[in-house]
Amino acid sequence: MSETSSNNGARPVGSGAKLVYVSSVVLLCAWVIVPIYFLLINTLSSPETVNSFPKSFFPEFDFGSLHFFAEFSGMITALKNSITVALLTMTMSILIGAPAGYALSRFDFVGKNLFRLLILLTRAFPLPLLALPLAVMFIQTGLDDTTFGLSLVHTTLAIPFSVLITFSLFSGIPLELEEAAWTLGCTRLSAFRKVVLPLILPGITASAIFAFVISWNEVFAAAVLTIENRTLTAFLLQNLGTSPLHLKFAGGFILVMPALIFIFAVRKYLFAMWGIANR
Amino acid sequence: MTVKSKLVTAVSAIAFTCTAYAAQGEVLFWSTQAKPVEEAQAMREQVLAGFSGGVDYQPNDGGPWITRLNAELSAGSGSIGVLGALHGDYAAMDPENLVDLSDLGVASASDTFNNLAMLGTDTMQYIPWMQASYIMAANREALQYLPADADINALTYDQLIEWAANVHEATGEAKFGFPAGPDGLKHRFFQGYLYPSFTDGVVRTFASDAAVNAWETFARLWEHTNPASTNFSFMQEQLLSGDAWIVFDHTSRLANAFNERPDDFIAFPAPAGPTGRGFMPVLAGVAIPATAPNIDEARALVSYMLEPETQIATLRTTNFFPVVDVELPDDLPPSVQAAGNAIAAMSGSADANPGLLPAGLGDRGGDFNRVFVDSFERIILGGQDIRAVLDDQKTTLAAIMNDTGAPCWAPDAPSDGACPVE
Repeated sequence: MSETSSNNGARPVGSGAKLVYVSSVVLLCAWVIVPIYFLLINTLSSPETVNSFPKSFFPEFDFGSLHFFAEFSGMITALKNSITVALLTMTMSILIGAPAGYALSRFDFVGKNLFRLLILLTRAFPLPLLALPLAVMFIQTGLDDTTFGLSLVHTTLAIPFSVLITFSLFSGIPLELEEAAWTLGCTRLSAFRKVVLPLILPGITASAIFAFVISWNEVFAAAVLTIENRTLTAFLLQNLGTSPLHLKFAGGFILVMPALIFIFAVRKYLFAMWGIANR
Repeated sequence: MTVKSKLVTAVSAIAFTCTAYAAQGEVLFWSTQAKPVEEAQAMREQVLAGFSGGVDYQPNDGGPWITRLNAELSAGSGSIGVLGALHGDYAAMDPENLVDLSDLGVASASDTFNNLAMLGTDTMQYIPWMQASYIMAANREALQYLPADADINALTYDQLIEWAANVHEATGEAKFGFPAGPDGLKHRFFQGYLYPSFTDGVVRTFASDAAVNAWETFARLWEHTNPASTNFSFMQEQLLSGDAWIVFDHTSRLANAFNERPDDFIAFPAPAGPTGRGFMPVLAGVAIPATAPNIDEARALVSYMLEPETQIATLRTTNFFPVVDVELPDDLPPSVQAAGNAIAAMSGSADANPGLLPAGLGDRGGDFNRVFVDSFERIILGGQDIRAVLDDQKTTLAAIMNDTGAPCWAPDAPSDGACPVE
């Protein structure tokens, strides 16, 4: 791109390419930002404004809808549960997924290909199908209605992603790098810690975000497997569908915000993966 | 100690510490009704707060509701104390899984409802809790286009179509709104309104010539129906946004429009056809699952739900009307007043032709609805030949009736054995 535009003879082509580049950047940003912005405007608008058309581009700072949720009993507990479950899911899926990904990429063992296929199978069955036997088992073992039990289910959902993401990351790092570290006095473990780990950290972050978001967004298992310890999504999402429009917007905003904040907080690890320097 | 048993012990220990915080002693009210956040909040604060034992009210979607219930039933122990759901939800369940409530000493004022609540057994499997119906509503701006000879409280289908056509012509937009969206209750319109009004039946007359006429009439109405109706599920939203001026829907799915802008909208009875003004009730009930942790508390809560004060509080909260005889206060919300008057006008009209909820279909209730939804999609959306579609769907309907052996319900004439599709 920069080469084209610095080329003397190709000025018109360069500016044309630049136009395409800039407009696709703008389009992609708008794709993400405009819906969130409208969510924000409508959250901060009175019910009359939400139902009226055309929509205003500026919020009127009416906090009625948000105030309703502030007084909605159980919100804070549900938010806390959601964060606990998502963090547990994230930790467990990385602790289990990353070693599996390393093993898949570094070692040859019998049934390796079958294993890679099987790991995807956990996503092949819809949750409404699995939820009933799971709930029966959870009630019998006492795992029922616990954040830990729910995060076990969410971990199962997140593991295929964390295994496959880390597998491709480890495969992208030449074994020679590790071998060089071994010859320079590193053990297998310290070579992993000092050489491989820094290189794959962005990938780990990516799979962590995946795990977090999968857990955050999951409704069905959460609604069936927890009662007192509901996650925010299970607590709110089912009830929002039938709620009036202004509360739908406010509820949607409340559901989206924590996940956005989390992704924002870990974004520098993610950017590093795409070759952009840490900021 | 094997690794496995160690793991089980560890997991149970963690689980135990986590559950220790769970609320003790409260009755868990597991409901598919009063789901919208505002209604759920009002149920907790205004309806259930008066119950001495404490209630944990949890409204759910149908899927998680039944999955959790089935899980507790198969595990043989559970935390759900009281169930709240529609008649159709209970009809799909095995009565064995519900505690018999005949000896509780409470029941609705309607024998029809009490009979439905027995689910084909000799005892009450659930107690009727609240009722609603489907009505019409319109934006007052549409009233100027009402045909000159039409009385809004005694409309016919032809007048309704003429009215919708007038609005269409005057505004350039099709402004009749019909809840044909994925979550819309369109099948109830066909089962309880269109068919009874044109054929004086639902099952027997499914593929009759009168039914062809009914669908032709509905197709004429569809020409003046907002084409986005296939996305509409709660007509209060389109009333408020102005996308639809004349609509049909469940009373509680119209309530917000009346409560937010009471002066802008009017509620009125469903239209009448050649065989009267067909309409249908909605019935919700409360029941106790066999696995309820504290059956005495649960029974006390069921009795509490049927008390007149609770019933009035429930009406204010959910827009579902009482099932017991109560003196209604004067200060009810606008939505309740509007819906109450429309239902009274509908059931009190000279040509009223009340239908009943489908009964005896068990878990085939969804398939039964599917027959009507499929017919709608093929005839109205797909433009297929009405006679051919009805003859085709008729075999599916007949199979459902024969499999379940469900006898006819009003307005179909009574049958010996399974209701025949004639």
